[in-house]
Amino acid sequence: MNINKFHIATFIVFIQFLNSASAQSTYQFGLLPSINLNYKLENDWSLNSKIESRQLLQTGKFNGSTESEYNYILTDISMITAKKVGLNSRVAGGYLIRLREEKLFHRFIQQYTVVQRLSALRLVHRFSTDQTFSKEEKPEFRLRYRIASEIPLNGESVDPQEFYFKFNNEYLNSWQDSDYDLEIRLVPLLGYNLKNNDKIEVGMGYRVNSFLDNTTRHSFWTSINWFLEI
Amino acid sequence: MIKSILAVVAIFILGNFSNSLFAQQKFEKESRLAQSDVPMNALNFIDSLNLKNKVKWYLEEGLERKSIEAKFKRNRKKHSVEFDALGNIEDVEIEMKWDELTTPLKNSISTRLQKDCIKHRINKIQIQYTGNQIPLFLKLLSGKPTEDLTVKYEIIVKCRSEKSTELFEYLFTDKGHFVLASQIIFKPSYHLEY
Repeated sequence: MNINKFHIATFIVFIQFLNSASAQSTYQFGLLPSINLNYKLENDWSLNSKIESRQLLQTGKFNGSTESEYNYILTDISMITAKKVGLNSRVAGGYLIRLREEKLFHRFIQQYTVVQRLSALRLVHRFSTDQTFSKEEKPEFRLRYRIASEIPLNGESVDPQEFYFKFNNEYLNSWQDSDYDLEIRLVPLLGYNLKNNDKIEVGMGYRVNSFLDNTTRHSFWTSINWFLEI
Repeated sequence: MIKSILAVVAIFILGNFSNSLFAQQKFEKESRLAQSDVPMNALNFIDSLNLKNKVKWYLEEGLERKSIEAKFKRNRKKHSVEFDALGNIEDVEIEMKWDELTTPLKNSISTRLQKDCIKHRINKIQIQYTGNQIPLFLKLLSGKPTEDLTVKYEIIVKCRSEKSTELFEYLFTDKGHFVLASQIIFKPSYHLEY
């Protein structure tokens, strides 16, 4: 399956989810800005630190009531260290702290990424696991796979001062206590490459979960990402 | 507090925007070129080949020079024809397979790669023809090179050394003698990984 067919198939799945949204389905709409700093170290090591904040602007039910009110939800701060293990692959591990309503959540992250360089696009496969602990909730364990594609909008590669299209598609399996859930994320983004080490992206991410037990929750997050390599 | 954070972020962003707009940058840039912007010489050269497949045009801008590249498929092989900014042809590159090389050439290239790398894998081979317009045109039309052309082989190799695994571009003469090797530096992919 080529990448265009993959995107079309994913889009159809996305539309199906929207169509299946019943009066029971709830939605959220908000902002998800992030700053992503990367540091290159010696011997193929690198560091990534990220701060991301989630802010809710609207909640409601499909075909039902709507409530528009600004609500700050949470902030995530993470630090991940990575080591290049092959020409196109990297293993990484790190820690994330989540601040939500004066509660603290501690998350440990392990991931493996593979970069595929095709003639007119780049694909990155990310396999990751994480474990989240807090005083208030039972531990949560997740197994995730994400495919991210970067398509240059001018030429065959993204050069400085050029736009690109980015599409993330992620599948998250989560286990908490005896509950299992699957979340699917689709994030189309428009990016601008100021320099090779400085990028800004804007897009609307879509997340759907709890559809396995018929209490489907949809959320739409406006992503504003800034990636900087120091 | 939030206002102070936003102000710092705004200064960072504006600083980066202004650097990109006003500072001299050293980079090579490749972009698609509309057929209407292609110099007449280059357009006529490609038109006279009567190609069945679509031709994609690119502009490559370096610090010191600009060049124009036509990319197309012919006989199931990827072709790349490079012109200078005025549309004068410079070289022709055709993708080929390892099995298509002669045994002495393969032996010579392999000896060099085995010397440089603990383990290697060839990712791509291109035969490169350089010369004047007429011999290059005849080569493209008939498929057979004339004696007036200089032939070289450009090989992309994944090379594992004691320290790390990197991608290199090697250039060999038609006899398989080493000309040069340069490491291919990848663009960062942090925005796709995190």
